[in-house]
Amino acid sequence: MPEPHSIALPLWQLPVLVFVPLSVLVALGIGLHRFVRRRSAPGEERDWSVPPLAYGAGTSPLHRWDVRCKIVTILVYSFMIVSLAHLTPALAAVAVSLLVLVVARASLVKVLMRLLAITGFVGMFFVVMPLTAPVHPGDTVVIFGGLKWLGFNLRGLQLAATIAAKAVAITLLMEPLLSTAPLPVTLHGLSRLGAPEIIGQMVLLSYRYLHVFRHEARRMSSGMRVRGFRKRTDLQTLRAVANFLGMLFVRSFERTERVFDAMRARGYRGRFPEPDAPPMTAKDLVLAAVWLLVGTALVAGDRITW
Amino acid sequence: MHDQPLPVRHSCVDETLFRLQGLAYRYPDETLALSDIHLDIAPGDRIALVGQNGSGKTTLIKHLCGLLRPTAGQVQYKKHGFSEDYLERCRLEIGLLFQDPDDQLFGHTLLEDAAFGPRQQGLTQPDAEVAARQALQQVGLSEMAFKAPHNLSFGQKKRAALAGLLAMQPEVLLLDEPTANLDPHQEQVFLDLLSGFAGTLICISHDLIFLYDLCDRAVVLDQGRIEHDYTMRELVSHRQALREHGLDFSFRLVADIPPDEPALPSFEISGDTPAVAAEPDQPSLVDLRRYTYRYPDGTMALCDVALAFQAGERMAIVGENGAGKTTLLSCLLGLRHGQGKFLFDGRPVTRRRRKTLWRQVGMVFQDNADQLFCPSVREEIAFGLHQLGYAPSEVRQRVAEALSLVHLEGFEDRVPLHMSGGERKRLSLACVLAMQPKLLILDEPTAGLDPRGEELLLSILRQLDVTLLLVSHDMFFVGELTRRTLVMHLGRILEDAPTHVFLQDERLGNLNGLAYAYRQRSGRAIQALQHEHEHDHAHRHLHDHSHRHGESTHEHLHEHEHRHPHRFMHSHPGEEEPTHDHRPLRFHDHEHPDHDADHEHPH
Repeated sequence: MPEPHSIALPLWQLPVLVFVPLSVLVALGIGLHRFVRRRSAPGEERDWSVPPLAYGAGTSPLHRWDVRCKIVTILVYSFMIVSLAHLTPALAAVAVSLLVLVVARASLVKVLMRLLAITGFVGMFFVVMPLTAPVHPGDTVVIFGGLKWLGFNLRGLQLAATIAAKAVAITLLMEPLLSTAPLPVTLHGLSRLGAPEIIGQMVLLSYRYLHVFRHEARRMSSGMRVRGFRKRTDLQTLRAVANFLGMLFVRSFERTERVFDAMRARGYRGRFPEPDAPPMTAKDLVLAAVWLLVGTALVAGDRITW
Repeated sequence: MHDQPLPVRHSCVDETLFRLQGLAYRYPDETLALSDIHLDIAPGDRIALVGQNGSGKTTLIKHLCGLLRPTAGQVQYKKHGFSEDYLERCRLEIGLLFQDPDDQLFGHTLLEDAAFGPRQQGLTQPDAEVAARQALQQVGLSEMAFKAPHNLSFGQKKRAALAGLLAMQPEVLLLDEPTANLDPHQEQVFLDLLSGFAGTLICISHDLIFLYDLCDRAVVLDQGRIEHDYTMRELVSHRQALREHGLDFSFRLVADIPPDEPALPSFEISGDTPAVAAEPDQPSLVDLRRYTYRYPDGTMALCDVALAFQAGERMAIVGENGAGKTTLLSCLLGLRHGQGKFLFDGRPVTRRRRKTLWRQVGMVFQDNADQLFCPSVREEIAFGLHQLGYAPSEVRQRVAEALSLVHLEGFEDRVPLHMSGGERKRLSLACVLAMQPKLLILDEPTAGLDPRGEELLLSILRQLDVTLLLVSHDMFFVGELTRRTLVMHLGRILEDAPTHVFLQDERLGNLNGLAYAYRQRSGRAIQALQHEHEHDHAHRHLHDHSHRHGESTHEHLHEHEHRHPHRFMHSHPGEEEPTHDHRPLRFHDHEHPDHDADHEHPH
């Protein structure tokens, strides 16, 4: 059994080799965030009289793909990616996801926004795993200034990179999954696959009323701030926040009742109208099969080659 | 004492669309909301359902579409009670417009939302989409068919909610405060749309001028009972009846804007030279120059704003929904931070000072619910005072003073959530006044208030000695409370003029779609209906009093006709030049000297 390989470096190199790359990563995230904000700023108002997916980007093979095939394929493929254990196939999965993005003509800004959402979570692995991964025979450990308890395990770094690559590969696929069909169509596809219809309805209504809820919370928060409320670590703050949350709950509860009344008043009888969906064709099945074959190849490669 | 209810003249007396017999309703907590409601509604009726906040109007219309089931009595629609199957069919013919459009717009896009009803009616998706598109075109939103409801302005949401009902081609429209919080232009759009509706229409509103144009029958609810059921003209012409039910909006008609100030020229606005209406030597309380604010998504909300006003001024900001008024207020409160020069009380508002602006600027929000969150009135008012660091005795004293100022003495232990709309509005005002701000901002203070609440609020605000900034679509309040008006449009201040000049200048009024023409027209018509002077005419009486028949003296209810002069409020409908030829149409109550004298009448 080969012994772990140690590399001794002076302590002053710790910030250079660990914290500087991390800082660069954080700076990159902030830059990305600003870029996304700038790019997502509306220019001219788009034409809302036509469906957003009617022209241009809305004519890709993924947009035309049967929504049930799309959900099942991407779900199964995602599980395949999760099962990968090595960095190279995980990076290959990222490449496949990027290819899918190009084919789906997905919006760069929206993709970046999704990536931004996971950067904190993924970044944590890069900090924690190299410092906490158990040292196995054959591992390379960088030790700074003779502090053995602060060993930086490169295998841990590789593991973190593998997890990050898998997370990125799956996150990149969320845009083709969710943005190539209107949300009600996707949810209806889910219910046609056997998911309880009520879940689809709840997701749809939650998505709609999340914005209303957010606006209400923001207005109430402003109402408190203009009367001098600032969050502190004292009992008064705790009481004020409890009142705020209680009132928000009461308002949300009352709105829920009113929305349900409004739905009943317009003839709702427990079911949302089903959108017209074209029948599944052989083309849809072929596309699903090809994609799953790619997934199978990645898994096989992961198990055999590395 | 005022006129007793008279049977109303139905538009189609032979047919009855709705029949409510002995309807009563109790909330789950046993509070009686409606009692002894008897009401017949004919096809084609256009009914104004009026009453004070909490009188049971919304509860009543919820019974008309079966959302609530009566505790006693029954509701019949087309001669049938609301059984389960029948109710489901009826709901597809009856449209209910909720007060808050967000309650009603649950679709992913406007088209999908408007197509919801037609799909429930059994139409196929393409047919439902055609119906939805037609309805969206009717309300002027066909260009936004695929926009999500949360990305619309308030006025657009209101119209979209109406489109969802119109797409179902309902026979009956039930409207709950359709024009609340809308700017005059959007209000006019609503009025035009509803005036063209051919079916039966039942509308709840506190705005009797709007209802006067829209409806021909008025049902007055008071504490869950129908107090009156007569024509709209009769309702608005009887001030005493209106006053008794808290609906007297006549104070809006009698007070014209007094031209008591010299006609100052209006100011041309440019980004770096704000207009100042008072003496230029006095330092400004607020001074904004070349002030610009963009939302985080890049939308320009305020553009090159120049604004200055001095301590003690009373100023109004008007403009259509989405003009940037509320954003400007947020900047003045320090909640938002834009680019440009901002001085408060002569000192620049830096990042640090912005955080303490709340000590000097107080604001009453449009929606009380955004401002009230404590479990008792006392705690609510004390909240800001605690933040200011006052001692408990000082807090107690200020709470009492603030409550007295807004006429809410004795409310200390009440729960704000359970108070009426008018009381909550006054409580919000008390919360701000207790902190003694240098600048008081009111954002749409009359939204959702009944006329009695409005009148009370007006009397309180008139008495306040404070620098006032009022944002409102309500031109009566603007005229009564302010001496200077700014007109905003698309994030810019277009005009800055003395209020009386603004109100008399049609060009300014129409500058950004603030059309008030129909209000002025209706106001004048109602004033004509309410005029009062002495008359001598034959009229009929139904009353009881002691009187003699020869030898015997007795008292009983009897009717007779006689002629004598007396003063009363009356109307001259349809007359350009009133002839004062009053027919004995109505019973009215007044002094009758000599009634105890001998007179003959049938027994």
